[in-house]
Amino acid sequence: MVGGGIISKNDDSMNDIQHIYREKTDKRILKKNPWKDYGLHLSVLVLAVIAMYIGPIEIKLTDSVEIAVMPLLYTMVLGLVFYLAKPVTWIERKQSRVAEGAMMLFIGILIAKLAVSSGQSMHLLFEMGPALMLQELGHLATILIALPVALLLGFKRETIGMTNSIGREPEVAVVVDKYGFNSPESRGIFALFIVGTMIGTVFISFLTSICVSILPLHPYAFAMASGVGSASMNAASLGPTLAAFPALETNIEAFAGFSNLLSFSVGIYIVIFIALPLTEKLYELLEPRIGRKPIVDEGGE
Amino acid sequence: MVELIDGSENVSVHGIFNWILLLTIFSIITVVANFIGYEHPIADSLIGMAILSLITLAGVWMERYLPLNISSIIYISVIGIALAFPGMPTSEVVSYYVSQVELLSIVTVFLAYVGIGMGKSWNEFKTLGSRAIIITILVIASTYLGSALVAHIVLVMTGVPA
Repeated sequence: MVGGGIISKNDDSMNDIQHIYREKTDKRILKKNPWKDYGLHLSVLVLAVIAMYIGPIEIKLTDSVEIAVMPLLYTMVLGLVFYLAKPVTWIERKQSRVAEGAMMLFIGILIAKLAVSSGQSMHLLFEMGPALMLQELGHLATILIALPVALLLGFKRETIGMTNSIGREPEVAVVVDKYGFNSPESRGIFALFIVGTMIGTVFISFLTSICVSILPLHPYAFAMASGVGSASMNAASLGPTLAAFPALETNIEAFAGFSNLLSFSVGIYIVIFIALPLTEKLYELLEPRIGRKPIVDEGGE
Repeated sequence: MVELIDGSENVSVHGIFNWILLLTIFSIITVVANFIGYEHPIADSLIGMAILSLITLAGVWMERYLPLNISSIIYISVIGIALAFPGMPTSEVVSYYVSQVELLSIVTVFLAYVGIGMGKSWNEFKTLGSRAIIITILVIASTYLGSALVAHIVLVMTGVPA
């Protein structure tokens, strides 16, 4: 979910996935009293109060298609605006680092809430086991769709890093481990990681509100699909899904949480053993046919 | 394994105190948001947040102190599932109080920190071309839809009622 840190760090072992989280959290929040940055926390309180007062806004695109803009998007976008806005002098780079470290800890609260919902619906999770496991393979669709487009846009070996998966922390670690920190493949997944961090959460929220209103899929299918990316993407996608199927709240939370957990655990092995080899095969097959001339790399650094 | 233990040395009593302080701050903000957005009783949702904070604290503590290379996400999930599992003596209490805290209240506060935290990446983001944005959007959309379609097909084939 967070930019910077991973990219400037030259860790290349898969076991470091956890260290990325932990060292960040420790460095940023354990060495000093976090209450010193009370301006940060008070700002978050103000943002949350404003967002909750406004509540969800529904925008009708056509008679049947409706987009729900959730309060969670207001706080995220306003948080970014607070950081970038010059007049807000109490939120600068330092507070941003504290926020990032604190966020690593607060992911725990989010996971715990989803886990409690999962515990309550455990019998259901066992019944839905096949769907939960197999939808992880559905993630491979990105290779078939995004890879040809990346080649047509002129990317070279960056394509392999950019299109093998949704590119969150575990996948970044796998790609860096396999190809090395300074490889084009790693540059590709770093680009995907940064852009995904900036726009992924907002985008998946809009994507979900459109999908739930136009696609006649099973409510649990939307719940499982919301878990494809990071914890924030999961949450942003859950908002419109819960709003569309309010009666199934606990079950939807359970599937979403479990699916996100699978993405972060089983998902890594799917990337290593299936997605990356498949991406390479398809790259070798398509690159000579539809690849463009090498271009100066804008996609990487 | 060695690195794992190395990383833990800066976690002192002071460190755990900071975790507790941060979780308390987060809980208070979330409870306020939860009250404004959903009007759940403040006392009940405070207890709910306290339970979630304790689970989180246990998870991050175990990640650093147990000599296993397991992420805190896994510990927290296992503890949460076990506490709420029907039949466990804690099940009813935990489920009731935690249900008083809406997921969307937690997420709304959480994403405010995310927004501020990702401000640092803004310059890197600006230098990436539009081509990278196109690919990212395609990757997210096709991963999401691929997952939803496969899940839907399997759910329908196994006869799960909507």
